[in-house]
Amino acid sequence: MIALAIILTGIGSYAMRAFFIFALARYTFPPTLLRALEYVAPTVMAALVISMLTTPEGELAAGFPELLGLISTAIAARTTGNHILALVAGMSAFWFTGWLM
Amino acid sequence: MNIPPARPALRGALDALPLFIPALPFAFVFGVVVAEAGIPQWLGWSSSPIIFGGAIQVTLFTLIGEGASVAAAVSAALIVGARHMLYSVTLAPHFQNQPIWFRWVGAYVLIDQVFVLSQIKPIDEPNAFRRYFLAAGFTFWTLWMICTALGVVLGPVIPTDWGVEFAAPVLFVSLMMAASNRRDKLAAAAMAMGLTYFLAALPNRTGILVAVIVSVCIMLIANREESA
Repeated sequence: MIALAIILTGIGSYAMRAFFIFALARYTFPPTLLRALEYVAPTVMAALVISMLTTPEGELAAGFPELLGLISTAIAARTTGNHILALVAGMSAFWFTGWLM
Repeated sequence: MNIPPARPALRGALDALPLFIPALPFAFVFGVVVAEAGIPQWLGWSSSPIIFGGAIQVTLFTLIGEGASVAAAVSAALIVGARHMLYSVTLAPHFQNQPIWFRWVGAYVLIDQVFVLSQIKPIDEPNAFRRYFLAAGFTFWTLWMICTALGVVLGPVIPTDWGVEFAAPVLFVSLMMAASNRRDKLAAAAMAMGLTYFLAALPNRTGILVAVIVSVCIMLIANREESA
């Protein structure tokens, strides 16, 4: 039963990734749609961040250290453009604030 | 037309490496979930090559561990993974001038991190795009296979509370900033954050999908009014 569940989920998740790549292989994208798709990456990342910081019941599972950590990350990412530096900045701010509090 | 990187395959592999950092502790969390669900290690690990999606794998085994039916566990796991359809639409133009085999293989490694890399570094030249995409995808794939194997073996016996779970939202904020290279994209991201929080109680994290679709539509309407 578990093997069946794994295989079904595998087929389903592959189909979701492949579907539009194949379905739209010969489709001429109108400029409006191409413009809309530019917003997918920033909004998905934003939504994933908030979903990681909320419980399945919809409660916010983040406090001041998290907030400060994420602001530091955003500033470091914008100024350096380097994900490792942004990661170091965010984690240090988070740990340091947590330790102070 | 943008200028493709000189060595797209090497660039793709190198760009993927830092993005894997938060996935390492997550691979050990995955190992604990497999153990707690009472699933044999090899069977649990087999979901890594078969499904290749951390959040989907963890959702599936968490629900199986809680005694859910196969139908319930599979459908919940697929709803968690539904955002991959948005990636499929968004990348479809880049898969048009490509060999058929790349559509089959590329779709297999289309995960959050590979998608966002392809958006942060848009490459119009088809050969360079394909090399960059595959190198990033299979670098991540190889690391995920190794780390989830370690995770199912070591996860249950060593403490997994490393206090580094926060690295995941931190990395995604960094990726969000890199993907928001224009003010309107940053505004869209801020809107998506608010909407996701507002919809956070929706089952199986469907709020993510709704928040993204709504904010993309609002941005489109706003742009149209501006240009009219």
